[in-house]
Parts: sequence; C-alpha cells; structure tokens
Amino acid sequence: MLNHAEASEQFIQDAERTTWHDETLWFVRSKRDKASKVIPEWEDLRDHASQIKDHVLANLGQYLIEFEAKAKANGVHVHWAKDAEEHNQIVYGLVAKHGSKALVKSKSMLTEECHLNSFLTKKGVEVVDTDLGERIVQFRDEVPSHIVLPAIHLKKEDVGETFHQHLGTPKGNKDPQFLTEAARQHLRGYFLAADVAITGVNFAVAETGEFVVCTNEGNADMGAHLAKVHIACMGIEKIIPRRKDLGVFLRLLARSATGQLITTYSSHFAKPREGQEMHIVLVDNGRTRQLARPEFRNSLKCIRCAACFNTCPVYRRSGGHSYHQPVAGPIGSILAPNFDKKSNVDLPFASTLCGSCSNVCPVKINIHEQLWFWRQDLMKEGLAPAGKSLSMKGMAWILSHPKIYRLAGAMGRFVVKNLPFLVNNRLNPWAKQREMPEAPKESFQTWYQSRKS
Amino acid sequence: MSTRDEILRAIQENPLPVKSHPGDFQAYVHSEDPMGDFQASLKTVGAQIFFCKNGHEAQIALDGQYPSMVRYTSQEVVTSGLDLEDVEVLEIQGEFGVGENGAIWLRDDHLPHRVAPFICQHLVIYIRKSTLVGTMHEAYDRLEGSYADFGFFLSGPSKTADIEQSLVIGAHGARSLTVLVMDN
Ligand code: SF4
Repeated sequence: MLNHAEASEQFIQDAERTTWHDETLWFVRSKRDKASKVIPEWEDLRDHASQIKDHVLANLGQYLIEFEAKAKANGVHVHWAKDAEEHNQIVYGLVAKHGSKALVKSKSMLTEECHLNSFLTKKGVEVVDTDLGERIVQFRDEVPSHIVLPAIHLKKEDVGETFHQHLGTPKGNKDPQFLTEAARQHLRGYFLAADVAITGVNFAVAETGEFVVCTNEGNADMGAHLAKVHIACMGIEKIIPRRKDLGVFLRLLARSATGQLITTYSSHFAKPREGQEMHIVLVDNGRTRQLARPEFRNSLKCIRCAACFNTCPVYRRSGGHSYHQPVAGPIGSILAPNFDKKSNVDLPFASTLCGSCSNVCPVKINIHEQLWFWRQDLMKEGLAPAGKSLSMKGMAWILSHPKIYRLAGAMGRFVVKNLPFLVNNRLNPWAKQREMPEAPKESFQTWYQSRKS
Repeated sequence: MSTRDEILRAIQENPLPVKSHPGDFQAYVHSEDPMGDFQASLKTVGAQIFFCKNGHEAQIALDGQYPSMVRYTSQEVVTSGLDLEDVEVLEIQGEFGVGENGAIWLRDDHLPHRVAPFICQHLVIYIRKSTLVGTMHEAYDRLEGSYADFGFFLSGPSKTADIEQSLVIGAHGARSLTVLVMDN
C-alpha cells in the first residue's frame, strides 16, 4: 500500500485535474461560508452543538440505554455490535433470514468502515449502492474519495465512460443531466424489487427512539419505504438527547457540508410501517476505546459534514484516496490511528496544521491539535515515519535554543536564496510540483528589532 | 457477557467529568418576514411557489404547472407502495413551513403511503399561510408533543451534484416541487 505522500504524488501527476479538484472543493468551502454568514448566531450555534455533544459523550451509556428502550417500544429491533465483524454478521443474518439475494443501500460511512459490501458480496448477496456518487465508484470498483461527495475525484468524461460500460449509455455522452437520468432509471428497478434496504443514521434521538437520515437524492427513503426490511446502521456516538436538539444540528449540517440551507430530505423514522420490519445496529468498533482517550475523545463529536475536507489544503491537493481509509481528510486522519496505528502512521502527518479544519468544524472539534497529539504519540512509540521524526526532533531542539533558532533562520534564508536545490530537491516531498518562495532579505526578527529602535 | 453489556461496561469504566446539557438554543434571531424568507428559500432550492386565495386559484396554478398530466389527489391508504409507481403528480397536505430553509414538515398519516412523495414524478404540497415559522428551533417547538410514526422535512425537489458538481434536479425522488400557500 502506498503511504499518503506517495499516493499524493501520483494524484498530482495530472496538474490540470489537481487544480480542478482543488478549486472545486474550495468553491464548496466558499458556499459554506456564504450559507453560514446569513445566520447571525452561527458561532453560538456551533458552541451549542459542541456542548450538546460533550454532554452526550459524558453520558453515552445512559443515552444508549434510553434510546434502546424507546426504539424497542416503537417496535424496532435493536442490535449491538462490538466490531465490524459482528456488525457484518448481524446484517448478513437478517438478509439471509429473509432469503434476500440483493439489497439497496444508501450512504453510510459506517458500513464503509466495516467493509460491509465486500463481506456481503463474498456471501453471494448483491449490494447496490443507491447514492449516485457511490453507485459511480461502485461500478468502477473504487471506494468513495469524500464522505459527502463520493465521486469528487472523477470528471464527467470518466462517469460517461463508466456508464457507457455498465449501463450502455452512448459512448462519449458526458452530460450530467443525461447521465443522472440514466442512473435514475437503472436504480428505480432495484428500489422496486429490493426486499431489504440498508441506510445510515445521521442522528438518533434518545428521548423518542427516532433516527434521522438526511439525503438530497431521496434514495434512503425510496429504499426504506418500499423494502420489507429496513436495517439502519449507526455508530454509538450518533445519539443526541432530545428531539429539539435536532434544530441545532439540522441548521449546521447542510450549511457546513455543501452550503445548502438544509438537505432536501430530513427523514425521522420512529416506527416501522404496517407489515415492515425495522432494525437498528448500534456499533462500537473502537469508539469506546477512543472515548477513553482524553486527547482524542472529541473526535467522536463529528457529524460527518466534510467541511474539514473541503477547507484542507492538503486534502484538496492530494485527493481522498491518498488517505487509504474510508473516512479521509483531517477527521479521518484522527480516527484512523485509533483502528490501527501502524498502518496509519502517515495520516496525522498529512497536514500543515494550519487549523482551518478546526475553524470550520460545526461541532468545534480541535482537529489540528489532535493531529499534533497523534504525531507525538506515534513518535513516542517509535512509529513515526523516519524522515519526520528526525526533522521533528531537530526542529524541537532548534526551537528550544533561541540563539541557534536565529542562526538557523539566517541559514535557511541563505540556503533558499543561494542554494535552492537543497530544499527544492527530490528528497523533500513537499517540494514536488512546487516552487520554493523567494527568501526575504531580513528575518521577521531583525525587521522587528529595527522597527523598535 | 452480551455485546450490549460489554459496550456499556466499556463506556462506564471511564466515567467522564460532568457536562450539563446546554438546554434550548435561545440565541436565535427572529425573522421579521418569515413568508419572504420562505419564498426566497424555495427559490434557492428549486421549488415553485404560488399564493392562492381559494381552491379555484390553486387549480388554475396547477393546470398551468402540469398541463395534461394526471394528478393523484386521494389520501386513502394504499398497502403497497408499488401501486404508486406510475403516479405523475401527487398532491398532498403539508403541516407547516420553515422560512429559513424552505422546509415543509410532512407526516405519514397524511399520505397514501410513506413512499408516495418520493416515488411520484412531481410533487404538489398545500400549506396554510398561518402555519409558517421562522427557524428550525421554532419548528421543533411546534413539533413538541406531536408524534408521527414517520415524518420528514422536505425542502425542494430531489437533486444531486455528484457528477462534477453540476446540479441536476430529479435524482431519485420528485423531479419538481410546487408549493401552494393557501390563505387559510
Ligand atoms: S470533524 Fe467537524 S468539520 Fe470534519 S466532518 Fe466532522 S463535523 Fe464536519
């Protein structure tokens, strides 16, 4: 497997595409800015959301028990899974019980995290992803590169070619309207035929036992309301205490994600419909472990809006697949080492620590600080990538010796100015596809000193 | 030990410092013109809006919007959603609208079937002018104590931008939404 820096290097080979990716995501970020600025109390809302989530994490056990009791009273079956394997077995058990050979699934990052698709496929069950972006990447045998915009790494030509191969659309047709219509017709057949529908969960309300699913396409509802069996899969951190709290989260979610006012559909499932079976699978899969780590606990507040992806200068120019994890971007880089430190050591380093992620996060997670905590943790355990730990140790030493810091700065300016090949070389991965800036003649410190005198 | 108890024990093994729930969100700014906001929001989300004094005006608006299409107006419960597969235009009653985002609250006991507003090709929602609220906080205040087996906020026709971020209206749900705001 390629590490993040190596995979990014491949991604940026196509300069035009990299720029398109970068600019498109930045555009989504700007839409988020616009949508948030029309709400004068936006910052208070973020604070409030963050406090509700803190409260949930401090009382998670109690709220899970309350949610379970209410959901059961509503006639919903509640299952618990400690890890991905158990989650997949539960889902498969339900599918097998109903003798189903195909099922429709709407977007759920949890099922991606558990690799449910490949598990079910091996058991001979066809899984049809119904979110358009997810269907596109499924056809291509890829995984989503973004949690809200799964096919953002692709251009319309790619989608046209993929649909030509899988749906028989005319070769060369790359009109988004036409291709979306083709997918609508194709997936409608599956919606009408499926016995089982799987959905994710955006919020689960302890007070009422309801769960809320947000989509723009309407695919979660098309699946769930036609199928005989609806299985909703959720991480245990998705609980919120009261229905009224949804007012806060639904105002934040879509505006942060895509700059929309709200998603087209915000569906509140309480009871199964007449003759239907409804199941909820509550999944731990490392969440209780993360909860016990004070410095990383906050990451469980995430509502998966992807604002931190869209704003991240590293994500925008390296693409989601370079993170080799179902959840990429800044938040993914904090979640991944909790699953497995060794295979994810590169991710906390895939950041400039600029802090833009923390600034846009609707639930105020200190994302960039946690990346920094992971770096320290990985270094302590001797897992950090060799180059990183050397240069970080060197940096720490320089920073703790002011005189040498000044000297090093002067040397740095000398090097960038007179010997640019030393930093602009192939050993420095950050210099690839980049020109180093011109070095200032004097340092900030000398400039500041001269201004003072 | 069951998985349930194992998970709950893992949580309880690490008691966290007390953090109280912040309560209702009080800081929201009341809109001076929820109807103006609603109208603007519906435009943003790609829906049509008509103000009608009576049923006659509503019919004229719909004849103009959906000429020569069959309109399904029955609220009678159907047992299989598949029976609605060919519905062209569905007319339903919404509970109330939300100014800030154009969302309309719908509940399943006012629908022929839960899938109806998703499977139809075009959707028409009637709402009463007097039901409008400004923000989602007011919306949930209004929902306090009212309980639906299935209910949802709908804002605009179904859409996607999954192909190169080009907005396409009509993904899996309705291809168009017409909102008729009735005087009473
Ligand atoms: S960490 Fe924050 S900004 Fe990133 S996806 Fe989660 S909620 Fe959104």
